[in-house]
Amino acid sequence: MAEGKAEFLKGTLDMLILKVVASGPIHGYAISQRIQQISRDFFQVPQGSLYPALHRLEERGWLQAEWKDTDTGREAKFYALTRKGRKQLETEMLHWEQLSDAVALILRTAD
Amino acid sequence: MGWLRRYWYEPLAEKRLDAELRFHLEQQITAYITAGMSGDEARRRANLDFGGLERFKEECREARWKHHLDIFVRDFQFAFRALLKNRRFAFIAVFALALGIGSSTAIFSVVDNALLEPFPYKDQRHLVVMRVHSLDNPEHERFGRGVYSYPEFQDYLQQNHVFDALIGNAEDDVVYSSGENNVRLASNYVTPGTFELLGVAPYIGRGLEPADYQPSAPPVFVFRYATWVSKFDADPSLLGKSFTLNGVPRTLVGIAAPRFAWGGADLWIPRDPIAPTVLSGRPYPAYWGAIGHLKPGVSTREAEADLNVIAKRLCTVYPQDYPKRFIMEVTLFPYAVVSPQFRSWLFIFCGAVGLLLLISCGNVANLLLVRAVTREKEFAVRSALGASRSRLIRQLLAESTLLAVSGAFWGILIAWAGVRLLSAVMPQFTVASETVIEMNGAVLMFAIVVSMGTVLLFGLFPALQASRCDLTESLRDSGKGMGGSAGRSGLRNAVIVLEVALSLTLLFTAGLFVRSFMALQSIQLGFQADHVLTARLPLPPARYKTAAQLSSFFQPLLLRLKSMPGVSYAAEASTMPPYGGFRSVVQISGKTHTEDWHSLVQLCSEDYFSVLRIELLDGRFFSAAEANDGRKLAIINQTFRRRYFDDENPIGRRIYLSDFEKVPDPMKDAWFEVIGVAPDMRNQGVQGPIEPEVWVPYAVTGFGMRGLMVRTTSDPVFLINPIAREIRATDPTAAMAQPQSLAYYLDMFTFAQPRFALQLVSIFAIIGLLLVTIGVYSVIAYSTSRRTHEFGIRMALGAGAGEVVRMVVRNGLKLLMLGVAIGLASSFALSRIVVSQLWGVSGHDPFVLALAVALLLLVGFAACWIPARRATRVSPSTSLRYE
Repeated sequence: MAEGKAEFLKGTLDMLILKVVASGPIHGYAISQRIQQISRDFFQVPQGSLYPALHRLEERGWLQAEWKDTDTGREAKFYALTRKGRKQLETEMLHWEQLSDAVALILRTAD
Repeated sequence: MGWLRRYWYEPLAEKRLDAELRFHLEQQITAYITAGMSGDEARRRANLDFGGLERFKEECREARWKHHLDIFVRDFQFAFRALLKNRRFAFIAVFALALGIGSSTAIFSVVDNALLEPFPYKDQRHLVVMRVHSLDNPEHERFGRGVYSYPEFQDYLQQNHVFDALIGNAEDDVVYSSGENNVRLASNYVTPGTFELLGVAPYIGRGLEPADYQPSAPPVFVFRYATWVSKFDADPSLLGKSFTLNGVPRTLVGIAAPRFAWGGADLWIPRDPIAPTVLSGRPYPAYWGAIGHLKPGVSTREAEADLNVIAKRLCTVYPQDYPKRFIMEVTLFPYAVVSPQFRSWLFIFCGAVGLLLLISCGNVANLLLVRAVTREKEFAVRSALGASRSRLIRQLLAESTLLAVSGAFWGILIAWAGVRLLSAVMPQFTVASETVIEMNGAVLMFAIVVSMGTVLLFGLFPALQASRCDLTESLRDSGKGMGGSAGRSGLRNAVIVLEVALSLTLLFTAGLFVRSFMALQSIQLGFQADHVLTARLPLPPARYKTAAQLSSFFQPLLLRLKSMPGVSYAAEASTMPPYGGFRSVVQISGKTHTEDWHSLVQLCSEDYFSVLRIELLDGRFFSAAEANDGRKLAIINQTFRRRYFDDENPIGRRIYLSDFEKVPDPMKDAWFEVIGVAPDMRNQGVQGPIEPEVWVPYAVTGFGMRGLMVRTTSDPVFLINPIAREIRATDPTAAMAQPQSLAYYLDMFTFAQPRFALQLVSIFAIIGLLLVTIGVYSVIAYSTSRRTHEFGIRMALGAGAGEVVRMVVRNGLKLLMLGVAIGLASSFALSRIVVSQLWGVSGHDPFVLALAVALLLLVGFAACWIPARRATRVSPSTSLRYE
């Protein structure tokens, strides 16, 4: 990867979004800021690519959206986690942990 | 499937998507400006960070659309699996739908093609025929005069204000002499404007044009496509060739379009509007059919009003052609070509298939209702597990759509096959010769929409119910109830009752058709129709005008025929049974009366009664010599004797047949001596009342249609060619027309249509009965299976198997009886209409009614008994555990 930065692993973006949204209703711009901030700019993707993912998750019923005013008084679309979404997040996190444990184990013992 | 497209066309969603993405960009720009960038730089960086705006918008739309497509596919996969799990249900539902769609489409297509769009002609819905009906003669009301003498036709043409065209045509026999062979063809003389009005482009060549009708025009004609193909091998080089028709050379100028068959003729000859005779000197036919084209905006009523005014004037000009009190009636031409009886039968068929469609929809509705109740628990569980209501509805919608689509698919196949079958077995001369029976797209759409509507309505109704219902209630109750909640079982039962009633009505109608056909077949004809060959013999008119000329042809011909191997008797006859001859006014010496006496008059030779195997009751028949000499002798029938002689001895008395003095070859002093009395035979068709009839020697006049009747020892059809040879040997310019066995004609004109109707209605009734059986069975089987638990308890407590069976059957019979009661009422109401169109049956035929009810109850009983038996075979311990 250029400049040591990674693209998203397939499917991980969904999980990251769910994780970020889990902390409370949040709009798209804030989600992208959070992801970049937490990952310390590790992931390098166009900010726009967040939105198709948001819409997909909303369609699946994992996120629900609402138009509300922001602190500055502008109207924005806020996303929140649904019950199904919370369950999905738990499942995905579990899978992820299992996967990364397995990969880490292989890397350690293969030497 | 509206939700599929919602995101493409919903402007709000589009606007919101735009607002959301722009909000992001603006936030980013603000952040960069706050960080100290210039406005332009901030905008450039923000756009760069975001990536292509339009591209992501598209991806967002796609994310939604693809998701729906996934769900859509998954719903159908799920529905397909669900239907596959219950194959019997799916099969029966599709079968019922397909039958309903198929049969109704087939019949409605026939009705549309035969009655509404029977012709290839331009603007046929504005073509009308006019008929003069006598007001004093109710029995002849249906058969008013529809033909007009040529001067009369001209008067209507010139004086009417309602037609923008009025064309006439008249049939005539034409003998085509090609040198070695004579072919008899049916020609139609047509008046100017005919081809223009009908407006069908010819297959090759041209139609008749205005110049062809001019007195000095070269003689031409146009062939019918079918005749050109069957008799002239579709040889295109014949165009422009000259044909000798009735001794006149005429040029073939065109072959009409394949479906063009005006007047049912083989060829069309223009009628010069002025000349009184055809070129050969032969007079034109006396009477002409007339077809008018209504001016735009003129109704048949208005046309009637106008024509009645003209008719009132004309009846003083042509008094012999008008009854004392009459009315002119105008009918749409497409309606006038199918016999009124068959037309009304077609409407009865429509009613019958309508009922069938209702029954099949009812059946599908019931199946869906039953299925919904059995799945109540499934839905309750799924809804408890978080399936949304819309999801459940969507899935049921998918199932219903699958059912409806496959039902429609098989329905189209059945309709296609049905239309092919119907047009193949439809008796000859039932519909106009131009009519092509084919599947009607609009009708098909209607049937599909009706059944799809049923499936979707009844497929969704339970979905709404199920998703609204109280979860705990149905989880607890399901599987052990007393047959579902009262409301829904009431709906199911109502559908069954209705189906039984409709089916009884169908059965009863079919029974009436059967009875009518039996009555028709049991009629005593009064003669033996087997082994008789009949043919018309249109003789070249130039050569045969007088009685003596006629006799010079028939005397040697009949001698030749009688000496042929395989021929027992041969006779000349003017009309073939079961029809008597022409109608004449009669007088009897020594009898005075005020009203007119009528009789049918048959011109025949000495073997007439031998050919038909009839023994005279009294007196003798005329000899060969008397027949050939045209002696004034007469045989009368029994009805004649009874009605006009009051059972006095008629032998030796004299009767006067006044119409012989008015015909083209008139005789003087038309008094005939009665020498014999014949038993009655049918002489106004098989169903008509027997009229007085007189047989006289064929050679008393040169006038009249002539024909042959030959009794053979083997199949009469084998003798057609040998007899044709003898006719040619007697006179090379003569030829037979329509040679065929008498039995065949009898069957075709008397029995074929009723038999066709009977078979059709019976098929409907059987399909109806089958559907109702399925319906009753599925409902009873369902409610019985729901009560397995209850029956287990009852049997554990000591109830016998018989008792349980009785309980179930009693339940089913209750529904059946209610249906029968309603069915009886509707049958009585409808039978009045049906009976008025049938011959020889009464509306309250107790035998048919009893049979229909018995059949329905028997089949219904079986449909209840089978599931009842099954319920008792389950051991109590199993059924107590049964869920």
